[in-house]
Amino acid sequence: MSDKLEATVRRRDGLSIIQFKGDMTTFAEDVVHDVFREATRDSRRNLALDFSACEYINSAGIAVIIGIVTEARRQGWRIFVFGLSTHYQKIFRMVGLGDYIEMCASEDEALQRAKPPGA
Amino acid sequence: MTGDRKRRIEIHIPSELGYEKVAMEAAVAVARRMGFSPDRVQDLRTAVAEACINAIEHGNKLDISTQVTVILIEQPASLEVNVSDEGKQPLPAQRPQPGLPPAFRGWGMFLIENLMDEVQVRTEPDGGNQIRMVIYLDR
Repeated sequence: MSDKLEATVRRRDGLSIIQFKGDMTTFAEDVVHDVFREATRDSRRNLALDFSACEYINSAGIAVIIGIVTEARRQGWRIFVFGLSTHYQKIFRMVGLGDYIEMCASEDEALQRAKPPGA
Repeated sequence: MTGDRKRRIEIHIPSELGYEKVAMEAAVAVARRMGFSPDRVQDLRTAVAEACINAIEHGNKLDISTQVTVILIEQPASLEVNVSDEGKQPLPAQRPQPGLPPAFRGWGMFLIENLMDEVQVRTEPDGGNQIRMVIYLDR
């Protein structure tokens, strides 16, 4: 069975954006850690995770996300999440991720929230 | 669906991660036919996937020579799902706690118990674990 995850990084204004495409499962771990390192190598300190092309997230995938969110927070990054279905928003809150991330309705909202006050 | 006749569907999947999606999509199709709301269908989708993953990883220890059996039983007001493994080892009893900092692993049973209306876990004396889950149409 294919459980492939693709992940890409792009930058927009003050935000590093990781887009996930595919399944977030145990098989995603290496891809996610590699893309996380690439996304957090500059000093933006604002990271957005785009799940709009991610249809299946299981408990092992949640563990992978918890791993990078924990590491990002340790390094002082703010984390924004968008593109999650209402079901996965509920799951993220259920496992406690809601305390670490800022859930946004869209990339534009993440961008707005990431702007420094008065910008 | 008419009357109170039960409809029963049985699926066997290999003990290999990824095949849980076969059972998951079958459960989704049955739940949609029964008229569950979209958010409850998603709850069921996640719970069935996690029960299968537990059976594959913990019960059957990823032994490809074993199988996981998923039985879906339609009832007038509910859908019952039984997920059984061949019991190489019991399912983990500990559950992570949400909070600060979040635990890294072990969220499968936590999600099942929080998404389904009834959940029972049983390990047979001679081996084999079974997770029985029920989701009701009116909740």
